[in-house]
Amino acid sequence: MISVLVTGVTTPIGERLVRSLVADTRVAHVLAVALEPQEQALPFAQGNRLTYLSVDLTRTRRVHELLFGPARDLGVEVVVHLSTHRDPHKRGRRVHMANVEALRSILDLSHRHPTIRRVVVRSFGVVYRVSMELPVLVTEDHPLNLGGRAPQYVRDRVEADLTACARMGLTDAEIVVLRCAEALGPGNGSQLFDYLDAPVAFRPGGFDPMVNVATVADIVRGLELATHGSGEGVFNIPGWDTLPLSACLRKWGTSSIPLPGSVIQRLYNLRHLTTGSEFEYGLNHQRMHYGLVLDGSRARDVLGYSPENPVDWPVGGPARRDPDAIRHAR
Amino acid sequence: MPFSPSIARLAARAIKGTQATDRARRLHYADAGHGYDRFGLHPDFIALGDALASPLYEKYFRVKSYGAENIPTTGSAVLAANHSGTLPMDGAMVYADVFRQTDPPRAPRPVADYFVTTLPVVSTIFARCGVVGGSRGNARALLEAGEMLLIFPEGTPGIGKPFSERYKLQDWRKGHAELAIRHQAPVVPVAVVGAEEQMPQLARIPLPIGAVPYLPVPAVLFPLPVRYHIHYGEPLPFHEDYTQSDADDPAVVAEAAARVKTAVQRLLDRGLQMREGIFR
Repeated sequence: MISVLVTGVTTPIGERLVRSLVADTRVAHVLAVALEPQEQALPFAQGNRLTYLSVDLTRTRRVHELLFGPARDLGVEVVVHLSTHRDPHKRGRRVHMANVEALRSILDLSHRHPTIRRVVVRSFGVVYRVSMELPVLVTEDHPLNLGGRAPQYVRDRVEADLTACARMGLTDAEIVVLRCAEALGPGNGSQLFDYLDAPVAFRPGGFDPMVNVATVADIVRGLELATHGSGEGVFNIPGWDTLPLSACLRKWGTSSIPLPGSVIQRLYNLRHLTTGSEFEYGLNHQRMHYGLVLDGSRARDVLGYSPENPVDWPVGGPARRDPDAIRHAR
Repeated sequence: MPFSPSIARLAARAIKGTQATDRARRLHYADAGHGYDRFGLHPDFIALGDALASPLYEKYFRVKSYGAENIPTTGSAVLAANHSGTLPMDGAMVYADVFRQTDPPRAPRPVADYFVTTLPVVSTIFARCGVVGGSRGNARALLEAGEMLLIFPEGTPGIGKPFSERYKLQDWRKGHAELAIRHQAPVVPVAVVGAEEQMPQLARIPLPIGAVPYLPVPAVLFPLPVRYHIHYGEPLPFHEDYTQSDADDPAVVAEAAARVKTAVQRLLDRGLQMREGIFR
């Protein structure tokens, strides 16, 4: 029986993970943390095995108080860190604090923590560099997107990922980094979801890259396996669905118009300004030309993870606009 | 791709009848779940590609195939061929020939230069037919999955070789030998006779920007209707002759690559002796 601290629990992935851990007989207690006040957080009742705390993880002092207060008192052994900004248009110091410094604090404090023995970090497929000379099928040793022109959204994720990786083997706590495929669905920070969910999608003419997408159910399974596993390392967590972008669009029922890249960039900038949408073409430019598919061999061999839940694709019409129409699991 | 596999299937049937799609349906490949493999290959597009290549294969270049029994029917392998002709028709014809000569059919995975993946439309069509960008990671993944790579160790300089250099193998890269040793795959030498005369080049205009290295200036607007003779040599058993750790020894890799080059050159010389003329 272990106790688990989960950050970022107000996201669909966090919420589902908490539900799953609470139902898990191997878990003694779940300490759920997010920024939101308790009454706006988890939509299900807290019981004897679940405690919710509103904590601002960008403040080191609060993280310290969390880990050496309630977490220590509950005997938390595993920390699952999911908290990160999801909007690529949000920039600045506060965003960086949330994306990187919060994790750094957790890792620092876990090193000398009396009960924490394992930290599971959710990272992202977006940390990988995509270009013409690199493989489409991406293993964990693939080059990372360290380009100076990468937006903060990417730079923060790469820095957080590397911050965790750099401490592997150097601290008392085991560190596991899961580089997850995009989980299609609202609230997951999925760029592809926002792209597909528009009435019309613009794509680079003549290109049809392969993409791999996941469901919340599979990402949560990966997190659970990492929570209960042993050892440390970096693992790709791919989804079940690997298909061309055009097939995604067809399955989603979204019309697409091929255009030159410079025009697409302007159109999506305009869309963001007028509707507040999250999709940023500059962030996905390379991926929409050359594709990226995560190779999950290492996760399969070490964690026992294989994607099992295909996306239940919306097939157009009003259903596409209704987030509830997207089933995340079967 | 602007059209779906079902349209590709219908188009293939319209061009070549059901035999095109039936053969492609028997293809062994690693379906990643939606009918495509992880690199984008789809059997219906292979059927369409085969149907489109048929007039070129059967009528225009009138391909003759020799030693096809040397193509491994299963397991990972590397086909190493000479490269020439300004336009990569040799790649298309070897691809079509392997697909036709093997039973159950095998689609070789041609390894293309990086710049091919930057070409709109072309990159997508190629990917659907099994072509992959020439990165080590792509090749590694395919060999580990038991696929058969089609590699042109002369690379882009080979396809752009001057007419005076025809059938003289250019600088022979070593990556194919290293891959074959590391993944314990046999190497099948392949000689394409005919392609080197199809489109003589007058000049090359270097392109200082972009991924395409140069713009060829050919003597003819379209490839000449030369006859293709494709020769497959006996597989070089790298999986028996070398251990995996030999792939880390540059001298061993260089020697292995030289063996392949010699085998291809011998096949070329034999093929040239055998043929009765450029168009025959």
